[in-house]
This record gives sequence, structure tokens and C-alpha cells, in this order.
Amino acid sequence: MFTNRAEKLFIWVFFPLALLMPLLLDQNTYYVNKLATILILSIFVMSLDYLVGRCGLVTLGHALFYGLGGYLFVMLAPEYEAVNFWIYTFYVLAIASVVALIVGFIVLRTSGIYMIMITLALAQMCFYFFSDSTEFGGNDGVFIYVKPETHVFGLNLFDLDNPTHFYYLCLLSLFNCLLFFKLIMRSKFGRIVDAVQENPERTTALGYNVFHFRLASYVIASALGAYAGYLFALQYGFVNPSMLSWQTSGTALVMSILGGLGTLYGAILGTLVYEGLHYGFEHLTENWLLPMGVLIILMVLAFRHGLAGYLESLLEKRK
Amino acid sequence: MSSNITLESGAPVATQAAHKPLSDTEVVLETEALCKYWGGLKALDDLSLQFRDRQLHGIVGPNGAGKSTLLNLLCGTYSPTRGRILHKGEAIESIKPYEFSRRGIGRGFQKTNIYPSATCLENCSIAAQRRVGGSFNIFRSRHSEKLLTEMAEQALEKVGLAHRRDAVASRISYGEQRQLEIATVLATAPCVLLLDEPMAGMGHEESQLIIQLLKTLKQDYCIVLVEHDMDAVFELSDQLTVMVDGQHLITDTVDQVRDDARVQIAYLGQGDEVI
Repeated sequence: MFTNRAEKLFIWVFFPLALLMPLLLDQNTYYVNKLATILILSIFVMSLDYLVGRCGLVTLGHALFYGLGGYLFVMLAPEYEAVNFWIYTFYVLAIASVVALIVGFIVLRTSGIYMIMITLALAQMCFYFFSDSTEFGGNDGVFIYVKPETHVFGLNLFDLDNPTHFYYLCLLSLFNCLLFFKLIMRSKFGRIVDAVQENPERTTALGYNVFHFRLASYVIASALGAYAGYLFALQYGFVNPSMLSWQTSGTALVMSILGGLGTLYGAILGTLVYEGLHYGFEHLTENWLLPMGVLIILMVLAFRHGLAGYLESLLEKRK
Repeated sequence: MSSNITLESGAPVATQAAHKPLSDTEVVLETEALCKYWGGLKALDDLSLQFRDRQLHGIVGPNGAGKSTLLNLLCGTYSPTRGRILHKGEAIESIKPYEFSRRGIGRGFQKTNIYPSATCLENCSIAAQRRVGGSFNIFRSRHSEKLLTEMAEQALEKVGLAHRRDAVASRISYGEQRQLEIATVLATAPCVLLLDEPMAGMGHEESQLIIQLLKTLKQDYCIVLVEHDMDAVFELSDQLTVMVDGQHLITDTVDQVRDDARVQIAYLGQGDEVI
């Protein structure tokens, strides 16, 4: 399934290392939490990477689903009662898919710059709706007082309040997410997704309804984006409108481009490096955005196909 | 120059051609008083043609005669302003563009239109998968189906590209890319092939290859060929239509068309015309 050498290398280094990380950090709560957030963000960025890099659908409103994942949980779950994690995961995925179907039906009628604008507009609408609403805490957002329990078939595998447990849940989710997207890309469905991206005109002429394939991809990516938002909400125990802001969409897009558009594993790479730089510069200077911005521009210019592309070219040379 | 011609011919030429039995094979595709206007511009005006099974129907005419417009209408890229398109007797002018291919109307483009980063086999597999189905299956590997691969290989074989099976499409020669494009259309199992200048930009040898290919293909398919290479068109066509300024001039056998005075005027101009 993983045919690319750089991809294989990355996966064999990243996942075992990530598996050992909580032990290496001696269960230091701060860092384990921080890394779990990066894993969650990687899921979000990967879903965006699939849309932008694999389907050619550039959206600036992917945060709509990230926020939706969080807010859906707050809306659905009773305030002072532990609900089942797995059942609510299903709810979030199902409802986000329905919302994505409707949103996709509208936004996919446009393309290019128009699609960027309309996705941005819809996400901003959602942002202002939640930041002005009194039921959902307005700008401050909502607290989640009780975290879900994870009983399944009488087994209690995880305790979501335990940072290390939560970290492993995120890692497992990320791994499954990557496997799922790889599965899609090597399937018969993936063949047409590739075809649609490379030459939509030809694909239509061969008798495929391009719109259906784009819509299906949009729903898949949006549902996984919502799942990431749901995990994020559970990790910190609150949701607020900033999850829906255009900065969230924009940052994810930068991470995805930095990692190498369309490579999927590059999404993890991009998120790691971005967050790593963020952490480093934040501790160096108060005005961390400036040097970091410059560095990212330089990196994007230097690595034409992102960090993943650079890794691939390195391996190519050594061959 | 062209307005003279239509005036000169007097009687509506379209009906004249339609009643003349040129062959007894089945009519698979037909247009009835087909019009396409872009605002005030009549790109195609009142065109009635019949395309028959296992025949190659050539369409020629000076630039701007409406040949490409006709092909775009026949494959659903444009929808007509007026008139009808009949496929085996059924009106299809209002169906969706992607449904044309499903009905067996396959199209080659004027500019080479393939998947450049995919291999030749993959190019044909994309096309063949439309026929095999399962395109929304996310669990089945794209390389797992023997039938699909066989169909794609057959299409490559038909156009003589079997030896290029695993070559990346962007790396093969221009002529081979044109062949590949025809192969992808064949892989959808069409009954009609609409080809827009398949020999454009080719050298003599490559052209000969395509001519031979079309000669073989026309034994099995209805082919509508728009082409500027007159020698090729004369050699291949069973029926030949000449169009001028969006209007139908004549449809007949090659010999009849070649001798027709109106055609000579359309292409060469009238003797007394001021240049």
C-alpha cells in the first residue's frame, strides 16, 4: 500500500517514535498534551490535504467542519452526564457528513477562486453565528464538564481524562486516517478521483459525472475534519468560535503546502514542522509571527513540492 | 464569398442530401435542423445530417464553418439553440454531457486530451472502468480486476500501442498520444466515434498510421471525422459533408463532392472575385 520510498521511511520512523513518545517524555503532562494536539491537527490537515492536493478542490472554509465537530458534541451531549465516546463519534461523523453533503452541493458548483470565496463566506457565517449566539456561550465558547466514557462490549479501554491514554487515542486515529486515505487512493474510486483532478474535461467525456466524485470526496474529507475538531474539543474540554475562524483554515492550508500537497503523509510532516517552529519561536521572542512567517515563505520557496517532496528527492539522489 | 454560394445554390441543400440513399446501413446518429447561435452569430444553422453505422462520415469546410461546433453539439459539450439530435431514434439533445459517452458516443478532442501523468494502460483503464462499474467502491484495489485490465489492453492493441502499455503518457510521441486518445475512447465501448482533426500537426508517416487505423475502425464503428487534411478525408470518407459559414453545402460520396461546382467555389473562390 505504501509504495513510495520516502513515505515508507517516514511512516516507519514516525509511528514507532510517536508510540514511544509518552515513555520518553516520562508522561510529562504538558508535552504529551501538546503532542496530542499536533496529532489531532494532523488529522485535520490531512483531510484538507486530500481535498486540495488530491481532488483539486481548494477550500478556505475547512474550519467550518473542525468547529462543527466540537460544537456538535456540545449541542448533542447532556451537560452533566458522561456519554459514550464511540456512539458520539458516530453521531458527529454522521451529522457532519450530512452537513457536508448540503454545503458541498452548493460550493462544488463553483471552482477555483470562486470556490475559495464561497467556502470562506460560509465558514465566516458559521463563525459569527456561534460567536453571537447566547446559547453557545458567544465569544467565550462552551465548557465540556464531563468527558465521555469509552465502554465498549464491557471493556473500558481508555480513560479520556488521562493525557497518555488520550494521546494514544489520537495516534490511533491519525494512523487509521492515513490508512483510510491510502485505501481510497488505491481503490477504483481513487482512480477516478485522480482522473478528475488531472483532466476533468476528459473524465466527463468518458462518461463520468465529475460532480458526484467531488461531492463524495468533499463529504469524506469534511467528516474527518469534523472528527479532528471533536477530538480537540474533548482534549481541552471546551469549544469556542476561534475553531471556526478563517485563520484555522488558513493555517491548515499552510501546513499542508509546507508538508507537500497531495502526499497525505506530508500533512503530518507539515503540521509537525509548523508546530515545532511555532513552539521554538514563541519561546525566543514575543514577535514570533514575523520570523516564523519569513522562514515558512523561504521553506515553501526552497522546497517546491513541500517537505515530502524534498525528502523524496533526497532519497532519489542516494539511489 | 460564402454568402454568394448559398444564394447561388438556391434550393435548401440539406433535404436534397437526406433523401439520397447513400448506403443501407443503420442510421445511428442524426441531427434535425440543428442550430447553435452565439448571440447574433450563427455558428451552426439548420443542419440536418445522418450518420450511419460502419461508415466514416467526413466533415470538411473552411475555418469557421462550424465543424467543431457540430462535434461539440454531438457529444453534449454545447447544447443546441434549436433542433434535435437523435441517437438510434431517441432525442438526446437535452441529456447531460457525461451521459453521451454512456450512450456510446465517444469523442476525441482537437487538442490531445489524455491523462499525461498516467501510464497508457492506466489511461485506458480509467475509460474501461466506466463500463465495468464499481467506480464508487473505495475498498476494491484499482489493479485487482483482470477483466478491466484486459479491456484496457485490448483497446491499446486495437490502435497498435500494446508495446507502450507501461509508458507514461507524457513521454510518448505526439502521434502515439493521438493514438492513445483514440484507444481511451475505444475502451468505453462506443458505437459512434467523433474525431476532431486526429491528424493535425502530424508528419506524413504518422498520418498514414492514423489513416490505416481509421480504415480498420470504420468497419466496426460509425465515425464522424472533422479533418483539414483533404487527401486523408477523400481517402477515408464513405460520405462527405461540406460546410461553409455554419451552413450545410453538400453531403454526398467523395467523387460527387469533388466534382461539385459549389464546393470548388467555396474552397477556391469564384473567378470574378476581387482579391
